[in-house]
Amino acid sequence: MYHVTQTDTSRTVASMSIDSITVRGLKYDAATKKYSYMDSVLYNNLKTITKIDLPLHSFELTSAFEVTFNSKKITTNTVTSKNDTILYLNKRDTLIVTHQNTDKYLSLQCGSVKVHSIDTILTTNNFIDSIRITNRKVSNINVENIQIYK
Amino acid sequence: MAVYSVQAQKTKTEAKTKIVADTIKTPLFNGFTVQGDLISAISSLTSKGETYSYEGSLQADFKHKYLPVLEFGYAGADKLTSDNIGFKANALFGRLGLDFNMISQKKDKKPTNNLFLVGFRLGMSKFNYNITNVSITDDYWGGSQAIPYNNISTTKVWYELVAGIRVEVIKDIFMGWTVRSKSLISKDADGNVTPWYIPGFGINNGNANTAINYTIGYKFQLPFKRKTAVKAKKPNTEIKPDTKPDTKPRNNNQQTK
Repeated sequence: MYHVTQTDTSRTVASMSIDSITVRGLKYDAATKKYSYMDSVLYNNLKTITKIDLPLHSFELTSAFEVTFNSKKITTNTVTSKNDTILYLNKRDTLIVTHQNTDKYLSLQCGSVKVHSIDTILTTNNFIDSIRITNRKVSNINVENIQIYK
Repeated sequence: MAVYSVQAQKTKTEAKTKIVADTIKTPLFNGFTVQGDLISAISSLTSKGETYSYEGSLQADFKHKYLPVLEFGYAGADKLTSDNIGFKANALFGRLGLDFNMISQKKDKKPTNNLFLVGFRLGMSKFNYNITNVSITDDYWGGSQAIPYNNISTTKVWYELVAGIRVEVIKDIFMGWTVRSKSLISKDADGNVTPWYIPGFGINNGNANTAINYTIGYKFQLPFKRKTAVKAKKPNTEIKPDTKPDTKPRNNNQQTK
């Protein structure tokens, strides 16, 4: 999670901590053409978080997630010269990631795994301002693939 | 006068011995050895079929210095992991190489048949293999997919650096060991399906393999070589009577009187 501070002369990108976050997977029902929640929750009201791991679907080309943010943003009020605190309570955004899936053979002992290549990411903008793909290749190695900006 | 004759006999004997020593030259071709490896055969029996290898070799002897070798065999594996993933392969393999005998033969001594060898091999095996029961399970989204890796055809080439000894335990019967370091020439790209076992190379763990062979072999001497060996011995027996006077104690003073 990142936050951008921009003035007339400078633009600063800084890592951002979210007070609490809840992430659930959304499965798509082709018959009803609707998304519904997965049974298990990926992050359940996890506190003070700067990064999340999202599992991409191994056998489908789209993975969808609902992310609920609870956060606050402190800004300096130029009129009163005091800090203003903006609260973001239960702000929900939906991330839809489209990706390619490829089999990767590891060894006889470990078998095979799926690796992914991110094509595009769509998001709503209730809390999230924008998203940047930094590394399209997704494997089980701990590497940052996308940056979420507020 | 007698003194001079003894000295003359001595120099004559030395000259003859020298001539004989010079005539025992190492021929260009010294026959060939057929060998079988005992360690691979024994380990095949003890591994209960997980891996097995049977190999032999044919090695020629040139000048007792250069020993080109053709190694060949049959090997395979039938492995099952704890997760029930199976690997099966078997094939013929071959290796071609050259050994150098590091024992230098001295001209004035009888050449030894024992060998201290260093050399190299180029090995190759073309085979098909199967990897069974590989599946991918998605723990979060659900679902499972079996991935068949059936009848994958591949050719593997590797090189080996070898060192070893051969000792003639009985006439023309040789025993000895060889230590070898094996490295694949072409490695598979990351993520590609790779065979767990390569016939002739061994277990493919991505690094160099080391192996040891203990061989027993029979050397076929060529008929003309045997004849030349007999001929070369004859002058030695003729020399003996000439050398006899030297061994007897003589009183030189009496002879000069």
